[in-house]
Amino acid sequence: MQAVSDEQLIQWVAGGDASCLGTLFERHHRSVYQFCLQLTRSPAASEDLVQDVFLKLLQKASSFRGEGSCKAWIFNIARNVAFDYLRRAERRTTAVDDNGDESSERLIDHRSTEQVAAAEQNLNLVARALAEIPATAREVIWLGRFVFEDYEDLARALGCTVSAARVRMHRAMQQLNSTFTRMNGVPIDV
Amino acid sequence: MSDKRKSGVPFESEDAGEQKLWRELEDLPQEAPSQRLRRRFYDELEHADQRLHRRRRWLDLFTAPALAAATACVFVGVIIGVLLRSPSAPEHAELAQLQQQVAILNRNLVLDRLDNDSASKRLLGVIEASDLAGRDPEVMRALLERAVDDRVHSVRTAAIDAIGPRVGTPAVGDELMASLEKAESPLVQLALADLVLRYGNQQQLEQLLQLSERGKLHPDVAQHVKSSVSRNRV
Repeated sequence: MQAVSDEQLIQWVAGGDASCLGTLFERHHRSVYQFCLQLTRSPAASEDLVQDVFLKLLQKASSFRGEGSCKAWIFNIARNVAFDYLRRAERRTTAVDDNGDESSERLIDHRSTEQVAAAEQNLNLVARALAEIPATAREVIWLGRFVFEDYEDLARALGCTVSAARVRMHRAMQQLNSTFTRMNGVPIDV
Repeated sequence: MSDKRKSGVPFESEDAGEQKLWRELEDLPQEAPSQRLRRRFYDELEHADQRLHRRRRWLDLFTAPALAAATACVFVGVIIGVLLRSPSAPEHAELAQLQQQVAILNRNLVLDRLDNDSASKRLLGVIEASDLAGRDPEVMRALLERAVDDRVHSVRTAAIDAIGPRVGTPAVGDELMASLEKAESPLVQLALADLVLRYGNQQQLEQLLQLSERGKLHPDVAQHVKSSVSRNRV
């Protein structure tokens, strides 16, 4: 259990104590980075985006209303920053999908030895399938699987209702499953 | 690796493939950011903090107490200005009354000086009366007296100079003609007639001629008037 909640920390940041942002950074920068990496598939860009996200927290701290968790709010900012980046990148014709395979390989390259040993082929395919589906589906899956434990926070991070978050999750998983099946050649072994 | 990897939102699906995939996702590798990110963040945080504090110091000038104090100062200034510049109705009436009293005192002083035994005081009275004569018939009459029969030449001359420019105005002209009709002394008649001849308008000259023709003036004065008028006409 955390001694001081994220919500309390962001209030202190809003009150002028920017050092509290360091604590929030230590708590969340890894997951924000991994989320950004899922969307951008560029480690350098993701680090830049993490920087942007936490500096935006400094500017927007006073606008945190306490409706929902601070973590959901942080990820809502993160997805806005990341999608802004993707739109800019698209305009620069360096489309995300152009180096998708390379990025998914990079993800695989960073797996631990135990994970690779456990299910190398399947994981390879899951990661590649995840990289294949649209960013809007990928973000739902990533946030739902690795960041949030309930649909309320997921919905707040996505900026939609809880029921909409459930629907988006199901659609995203259907997309992932069909992509995985197509890449694997046979339906997944249940 | 994220501490939430083993949980996630409760994903429910009747599709066994999707459920299997959901479990498979747990084992996806998660890349860690570099140490450079942490260093960059803390450097930037320090700069941003300094910028924020500078901005806040500036914005502190506009805090509620500061704005309230500034507003109060402006309000007090306006009130003082209003009090100084526009007195209340009773004060205004009192001020007007005082001004009226001062005007009456000033008028009485001028009249007193015009009637003073001292020639220098009468001369001072003539100078002061020149401003009042146009709007005060009593002062004008007193000034005419000085112009007509003051025993000292310089006082008479000063009085004629003071009246002269105003002879053409109806108030002074009427007063002058009335005095001329009442005057019995030929010297007084001559002095008044000279004022009209010198400064009067055409209508006053006609009146003067009529007075002389009706025998209201001393014969010598009447002759002087007629010859002067005819000379001017020529």
